[in-house]
Amino acid sequence: MTIEGTQEYSINMGPQHPSTHGVFRMVVHLDGEVVTKVEPKIGYLHRGLEKIAESRTYAQFVPYTDRLDYLAGPHNSLGYVQAVEKLMEIELPERAEYLRVIFAELGRIASHLVMIASGSLDICGWTPWSYCFRDRERILDLFEMTAGNRMTPNYFRIGGISHDVPEEFMPALKSLLDDMPELLEEYYGIFFGNEIVQSRMKSVGILPKELAENLLITGANLRASGVQYDVRKAEPYSIYDRFEFNIPVLYGCDTYDRHLIRLFEIQESSKILRQALRDIPDGPVMAKVPKVIKPPANKIYHRVENPKGEMGWYIVSNGTTKPARVRIRTGAFVNVQMLPAIIAGWKIQDLVTIFASMDLVLGEVDK
Amino acid sequence: MVSNILRARVGELAVRVNGAVEESLGELQLTVNYTDAIEVLTGAKNFEDVPCDFLHDLCGMDLEDHLEVVYQLSSLHGPQRLRIIARVERENPVIDSATCIWKGSDFLEREAFDMFGIQFRDHPNLKRIYLWDDFEGYPMRKDYVVESYEQRAIMRVRKEGE
Amino acid sequence: MDALNNVFVNIADAIRGLFADSHSFGADLTINIIVFIMLFLIMVVAALFLSLVERKFAHWVSQRPGPNRLGPHGWFQFIADAVKMLGKEDITSANADKFLFKIAPMILVGITLMTFGVLPFGKRMVAINLDLGIFYFLAVSSVSTVALLMAGWASNNKYSLLGGLRAVAQMISYEIPLIFSLLGVVMITQTFNLSSIIEAQKTVPFIVLQPLAFVIYLISGIAETNRAPFDQVQGEQEIVAGPFTEYSGLRWGLFMLAEYGNVVATSAIAVSMFLGGWNGPEFLPGWLWFILKMWVIIFTMMWIRWTFVRMRIDHLMHFAWKILLPLSLANIFLTGIGIYIYQLLILRIGG
Repeated sequence: MTIEGTQEYSINMGPQHPSTHGVFRMVVHLDGEVVTKVEPKIGYLHRGLEKIAESRTYAQFVPYTDRLDYLAGPHNSLGYVQAVEKLMEIELPERAEYLRVIFAELGRIASHLVMIASGSLDICGWTPWSYCFRDRERILDLFEMTAGNRMTPNYFRIGGISHDVPEEFMPALKSLLDDMPELLEEYYGIFFGNEIVQSRMKSVGILPKELAENLLITGANLRASGVQYDVRKAEPYSIYDRFEFNIPVLYGCDTYDRHLIRLFEIQESSKILRQALRDIPDGPVMAKVPKVIKPPANKIYHRVENPKGEMGWYIVSNGTTKPARVRIRTGAFVNVQMLPAIIAGWKIQDLVTIFASMDLVLGEVDK
Repeated sequence: MVSNILRARVGELAVRVNGAVEESLGELQLTVNYTDAIEVLTGAKNFEDVPCDFLHDLCGMDLEDHLEVVYQLSSLHGPQRLRIIARVERENPVIDSATCIWKGSDFLEREAFDMFGIQFRDHPNLKRIYLWDDFEGYPMRKDYVVESYEQRAIMRVRKEGE
Repeated sequence: MDALNNVFVNIADAIRGLFADSHSFGADLTINIIVFIMLFLIMVVAALFLSLVERKFAHWVSQRPGPNRLGPHGWFQFIADAVKMLGKEDITSANADKFLFKIAPMILVGITLMTFGVLPFGKRMVAINLDLGIFYFLAVSSVSTVALLMAGWASNNKYSLLGGLRAVAQMISYEIPLIFSLLGVVMITQTFNLSSIIEAQKTVPFIVLQPLAFVIYLISGIAETNRAPFDQVQGEQEIVAGPFTEYSGLRWGLFMLAEYGNVVATSAIAVSMFLGGWNGPEFLPGWLWFILKMWVIIFTMMWIRWTFVRMRIDHLMHFAWKILLPLSLANIFLTGIGIYIYQLLILRIGG
């Protein structure tokens, strides 16, 4: 009996794999080297945070929020504490707002550095990876000097922040910002200017604009497909309306643009940081908050621009100290749907590159 | 801040589907029955001047006597926002799937099914997403009994001579 | 300087003198066994040492300190690595094809050792002075493709199979530019014997006469040894070490030995054919010049590895078939024309 033709086979890029960014499993159906279908299977890091939130008080839930997108430490708490403050209608002192913006933008830079670094690591470029991590260490040192913890500082509180920054913080931040343009040039030259990188990433993994809007993609992936939308400009929260910054947009829709746009976003974040550093006033860092936080029975949906996408917090309170429902809409969870939609026809090596460009972190995907 | 045009359009839509409109903390909310969910979503997507064409979030909610599916709509072309709450029965929670309007609601609906047990009609692949396929029960419902510490502790006791 | 130049030859002669007839079968056998052991030791030491040098170099490029705990500045790290590797459990997958699984690393090491046999480390310091030198080298090193395919198939693992097939595709494609680039040198010297080729470079190394061939040879050599940017055989981020996935402990150590042995062999051939072998100014012995030049090539190969990212498989094949092959053919053509013109001129001028 002769068997004619070739056969499709399926490979399991399982939860433990050198290049999936965390415990992510996908069943990849292949025809030779060409991918025909990908089925993502998530849930390996599911910790049931939404259920936990229903049995914790509002203030007790804040440390859990840091563990969502653990690469952008303090940024996740921002959405939650702001949502609760909206429910309770608390006004924050100015210094607290500025410090929150500083920490949030530092978290954004840290997260984007990891994204560029791991995108380069996935195609065996060890040098850009170590350069990005060397600079991420400086940001983590800033977190450690303030709050004691590097990746999950647990620094924000409902009504402000926990304590004021130490004296070494501002000079260290200033020196980091002074070095930033040179570092960005370095990253551009060593990674984005490399011909082989360009040949592997340009025109690979095209995500057209209409498909991106239909798939509900948010964040930098959407901006790399030509939609200029950022929650910080569309619906400014905190004091973002006081800062002058641009929203970078690229129209290539491919993997290269998705990586490049994060480099531009680091640049914009450092602009915001410089302005915040210049304008920050002195004063208290915590508002007058009642000892027991009991918001009136109401519902609120608050959105923030997380480095990975848009994070939405839907908090329903029923007048007691514990919330009735805390719903966390994470950008990475919805962005996973991009992978099965655009992967057909690319090779395994492109699968790795496209996956890296989606910038997932499993803490957010699995909650 | 809710613009007057948006208030007007939502009011018209509410009259059409017999829903209730509320406004608090600067957000509009429209409560409908589950049978009209798709009609309301398409209607909101096609509002004139203020289309709410981006489904930001889809989640389930457990109130004592009924379940709810909460849709948070926003837009990429303007500041309009709308929350749509669809009441679903508790005994037999069925609602039409929104994947015909937005493909991206696929995973969100799978999560609502996984956590609350809400069946979405015409969903391409309604399976559990976070928990394993043979899991029994729907964790986010209020009547789900979480394993107590005593029960967990029992499994950890070592037998003698092990 | 002559004494230093010939120190190894003199030792060999002394050992031969211990026998009654210094060219008897017994003497030859003894010398051959000693040379074989020395080559094996060179390969092992090179592999261990090179792996450490590679790590140190990589970390220097990436601005990291590199291994710096064991020994002075971490130079004893390879001892720890070797001991660790020897002490690992020998796991063979249950459904693997046991015979092929076990034999694949042995074949790879054997082939590398065989190619070491024709490398001229100095004047009259060749293990086997074959007249077919370079031809033998290319023929034997092509067999390593089969060994990788064996490793890929016998592991009973889809990742390994993918890696093995990629290895076949890549190595076969890059054999051809490799061979054609060396053909130019052979056309000039009219011989395959490596020692004669080095003797012919007394006045000017062939890199001056064949720069294009040198570049093509270097690129193809990197591709043949499966190093970055051509290392998608051991994808490591996609197919998790390709054919080497299921190997652990000493079997994996044998693969690494073969890989670094191949690096040494490739750079030795590059030095012999293009850079003048053991020729060099008199203040250093010949074999030391050979080693230094080899180091330059190895350094270049490492530098390329840690700067460039991996190429995609279809770009790789496109590069081999559509760019390197026509270039190497053009090189042969130009070399032929050059030789013809040179002979015409010599006949004219020489009278």
